Amino acid sequence: MKKTDLAIIGGGAAGLAAALSASGSSLSILVIEREKVLGGILNQCIHNGFGLHMFKEELTGPEYANRFIEDLRRENIDVLYGTTVIDIQKKDTFLLTLTSEVHGYETLEAKAVIIASGCYERTRGAVQLPGERPKGIMPAGSAQRYLNIDGYLVGKKVFILGSGDIGLIMARRMTLEGAKVLGVAEIMPYSNGLTRNIVQCLNDYDIPLFLSHTVTDIKGKNTLEQITIQQVDEQFNPIINTEKVFDVDTLLLSIGLIPDVALFDSLKMKKSPITKSAIVDQSLMTSVEGLFICGNALHVHDLVDWVSKEGEKAGKYAKQYLLANRINPKNSKAIVPGDHIRYVVPHEIDFNNVTDDSVTLSFRVTKKMASGTFKVIQNGEVIQMKKAKYIAPAEMESLTIKLEELKSFDPITLSLEETL
Amino acid sequence: MYDYVVIGSGIIGSLITRELSKYAVKVLVIDKENDIASHQTTANSAIIHSGHDPKVGSLKAKFCVLGNKLYDDLEKELNIPLLRTGALVVANGKKEETALDELYQRALKNEVPEVSIISGEEARTLDPLLSKDITKALSLPTTKVTYPWEVAISAIGNAIKNGASFKRNAHVISIEKNSTHYVLHLKDGSTIASKNIINAAGVNSDVIASYLEEPEFKITPRKGEYYVLDRKAVGLFHQVIYPLPTDAGKGVLIVPQVHGNVLLGPTSTLVEDKECYSNTKEGFSYIKQHLKRLSKEIPFDMIIRTFAGVRATSTYEDFYIKESKLHKGFYHVAGIDSPGLTAAPAIANYVVHELLNIQAPLKTAFDPIFQKPKPFHSLPFETQQKLVRENPKYGNLICKCEKITEQEIIDAIHGPTGNDTIKGIKKRARAGAGLCQGGYCEGLVLKIIARETNKPLTEINYYASDTPILVKETKTNEKN
Repeated sequence: MKKTDLAIIGGGAAGLAAALSASGSSLSILVIEREKVLGGILNQCIHNGFGLHMFKEELTGPEYANRFIEDLRRENIDVLYGTTVIDIQKKDTFLLTLTSEVHGYETLEAKAVIIASGCYERTRGAVQLPGERPKGIMPAGSAQRYLNIDGYLVGKKVFILGSGDIGLIMARRMTLEGAKVLGVAEIMPYSNGLTRNIVQCLNDYDIPLFLSHTVTDIKGKNTLEQITIQQVDEQFNPIINTEKVFDVDTLLLSIGLIPDVALFDSLKMKKSPITKSAIVDQSLMTSVEGLFICGNALHVHDLVDWVSKEGEKAGKYAKQYLLANRINPKNSKAIVPGDHIRYVVPHEIDFNNVTDDSVTLSFRVTKKMASGTFKVIQNGEVIQMKKAKYIAPAEMESLTIKLEELKSFDPITLSLEETL
Repeated sequence: MYDYVVIGSGIIGSLITRELSKYAVKVLVIDKENDIASHQTTANSAIIHSGHDPKVGSLKAKFCVLGNKLYDDLEKELNIPLLRTGALVVANGKKEETALDELYQRALKNEVPEVSIISGEEARTLDPLLSKDITKALSLPTTKVTYPWEVAISAIGNAIKNGASFKRNAHVISIEKNSTHYVLHLKDGSTIASKNIINAAGVNSDVIASYLEEPEFKITPRKGEYYVLDRKAVGLFHQVIYPLPTDAGKGVLIVPQVHGNVLLGPTSTLVEDKECYSNTKEGFSYIKQHLKRLSKEIPFDMIIRTFAGVRATSTYEDFYIKESKLHKGFYHVAGIDSPGLTAAPAIANYVVHELLNIQAPLKTAFDPIFQKPKPFHSLPFETQQKLVRENPKYGNLICKCEKITEQEIIDAIHGPTGNDTIKGIKKRARAGAGLCQGGYCEGLVLKIIARETNKPLTEINYYASDTPILVKETKTNEKN
C-alpha cells in the first residue's frame, strides 16, 4: 500500500497552492491529479486577468498555473498524474482508492487529506430548463474546453443563458473565432459576472445582456434551431408578451458552479445547504478530523487569486495539524450569515484550536448595493465594522476579524447594512 | 430476400426479432434512427407492471401478467438488470379506498399474483417517506423495474448472434407489394425485399400501415414528462408508488430505478407532434402538485435530468395486433402504449407463434444467452485489480459520476449492437448519465469514439446523423 502524510486531491489552483504551503518540512505530500497535466481549469482559461492580487501582473490561466507548477517542481513535490480518486474511507487514517491507466487500482493511506477537487457546472436538468433536447446545448465551460484545449468551435450562432463569468468570457471568445453571439440572458436583475467581464466581453462587442430574462422554450428535434427568452417578474415567473425569439445553433449555459464533492459523501462530513459543500472552521478543517478543503470545492470564488490564497491556508493548517499530530477538543461556534449575507466561510470558529490572532471571513452578499457597512456582531454588540462600495452578489467579499476584539467564545453574526 | 422485416427496433420490434431468430427464417430489423430503441423505449417509466390496471379480458391484461413473468427468463438469458421493487397503489380517504378495492378486484380477475390490501401504517413501514394522509394501499409484490433500452439492445444482440440482422438509419418512406413479396423503399433511395413485414413502428405504426392501406387504427400521441433524481436518492423509496389510475393513465408515479436514480412522472397530455419531447414549466408544476399526495418529502433539488416520451396510444381500445385484412404477410403490432414494456415478451411470443403461426422446431444452433460484462465498478476489488492488470484501459476512469472506465466505453462502441454517438454510449455505458450530465466526460467520450472508429472529431455525432458536437476547427488549427 502507498502511504503519504498528506494527500491533496486535485492539482488545480487550490491544490497547487496547498501543496506548496504544506511543503518544506519532513512531511510527505502527494498531489493526485486526474488529468495528465497540472493546472486544472486554468489550462482552458487562455484569456488574461489572472494574478493581479497574487503577482501584481495580468497573466493568462496557463501562465498563472505555471508559476505554481514550477515551484512545485523545485520543491520536488510528488504528483500522481492521470489518476482519479474513486473512493475514500476513514478509519484511524484515510484510505483512498485510486485508479489510473498506468498503475491500475491501488490503495493510498494518508494521515490528512486536502480536498481541492474544484467544481462542476450546473446543468440544464438541474434547473428544469423547458423545451426540447437537441444537440447544441452545453455548459459554457465544456464549450470553452473544446475551443481552447481541443481547438474546435461547437457552433456558429450562439445564445448564452446565465451571466456567469465563463459565459461572458465565452461570448467574447466565440465572437473572436467568427461565431455570432446574439445575446446573454440573466434571470436575476443583476449580472452574476465580474463588472470587468461585462464591459470587456459584452459591451465591447455589442452583445446585448438581457437582465431579468430567462430561456422559456427550446426548439429543434435533432439540432438546436431556436430559443425563446422571456422577461421574468420578481418571483422569476415569465411575463407574457415579452417573448423574444432567436434562431441559434448553440445555447451555452453559464448558470452556476457547484462544488464537486460527491466523492466525499462516504465520509459524512457536515455540509452547508447554501454552498453545497463542507462546513469548515478557521483552519479549513471539515467536521471530519484531518480532512481539509479549499478553493472552488469549498465555495465558488470569483477570482483565482482568492482560490490560491485559500489553498495556501489549507496547506498551512494541514501541515500544522500533521506536525502537532493532534487537535484539542473542539469548541466550535457558528459564524452566522445575517442580513444580506448569503454565506460565510469559515462557517465556524473552533475557539480551542485557534493558532492565529485573526480570522479572515470570505462571503457573498445577496443584494447589489452602491455602498454599505459590514458589521461583525457578537452577543448583540457590534464589535467590528467595515465600509464598502459597489457591493455585488457576483463578487466575493472579505473581512478580517481580530480575535482579541472578541468578548467571548460565543457565536458571531456577520451582517450588511445598506447606506441609503 | 428476407422472410421477415421488422420495422422498428424498440422493445416490441427487438423482442419479436429475437423470437424469430429462434427459427430457420431470415430476419432483418430496421430503424429509421441512428440507434436501437430511440423513442418510446428510451422514454418511459421503466416499470414491469404486475397487471392490476388493464381492463379485465383485454390483451393488455393478458400480456401484462404473462410478460411480467417472462422478464424473469429475460433476466437469465439476456443478462438484463431487473430490480424487484414491488409496488403500492395508494389511497387517501374513504372515497379512494372504495376505488382501491375495485382495483384490487380487477387485479384478482387479471390473475395478478400475491396482491393484497394493506393499511396506511403498513405502507409507511415499507416506505417511510409516504404521506401520512395515505389510509390504505394495494400491494403488488410482482412489480419490477428494468432498464428498457438495454433489454432492446440485448435482445437484438442475441438475435444477431442467432443469425438476424439489424440496419439503422433505414427510414421507410413507401412500401410496394408485388406478386411474391414486398419492397420497402428507404429515404436514402435503397430498397429492402421481404416476404413478410412486421410493423412495430411505435408512434409511426399508422404511417407505415398507410403505405399499403387505410389503417383501422390511428395513433393519438400522448406525451409524458419525467424528472430524474440523482442516484444519491437511492433508498429513499423502495417500491414503485402509484396513485389511483384515471382515464388518462396510471398517474404521476415515484419509480426507483435500477442504477439508484428515482424517476418522477409522467404527465399525460395529448400532442399533435409524434416526436414532441419537450419539457414544460406546466409539466413540472403538475408533477410536483400530484406527487404531494404520495409523499411530501421528495428532494426536488436532486433533479439532474428532465425528459419526455410519447406513448403510441391508438384509437383502438386495446393493443392492435393483427394481420392486414388486405395484405397477407403484413402484420401490425400497433397501439402499444402502457403496459407495452411489460407486455413486450408476451407480445413477441404471441406474434411469432399465434399470428405468424411459426411452430417449427427451434434451430438446433439457437443460443438463448446474451453475455454482457457487469459494470466494472460493481465488481469485487480483487477482480477489478486483476482486470486492470490485464487491460490498463479499465484503470482509466472516464465518467467520474457513474464510475465508467475507458474499456467500458470502447465495448459500447464496438460489436454488432455498438453505437458511435455520445447518447448511444450514454445509453449503453451510462457515461454522462450522472450528476454533471457529461459536463466532464463528454469530450473524453467523443475522442474515444473518434479514435476507435477512425473518424475526425467533427464527424462524431451527439445522436442522430449529422449532429456533430464540434462543428468547425478554429483558425489556428486551420492554418496548421
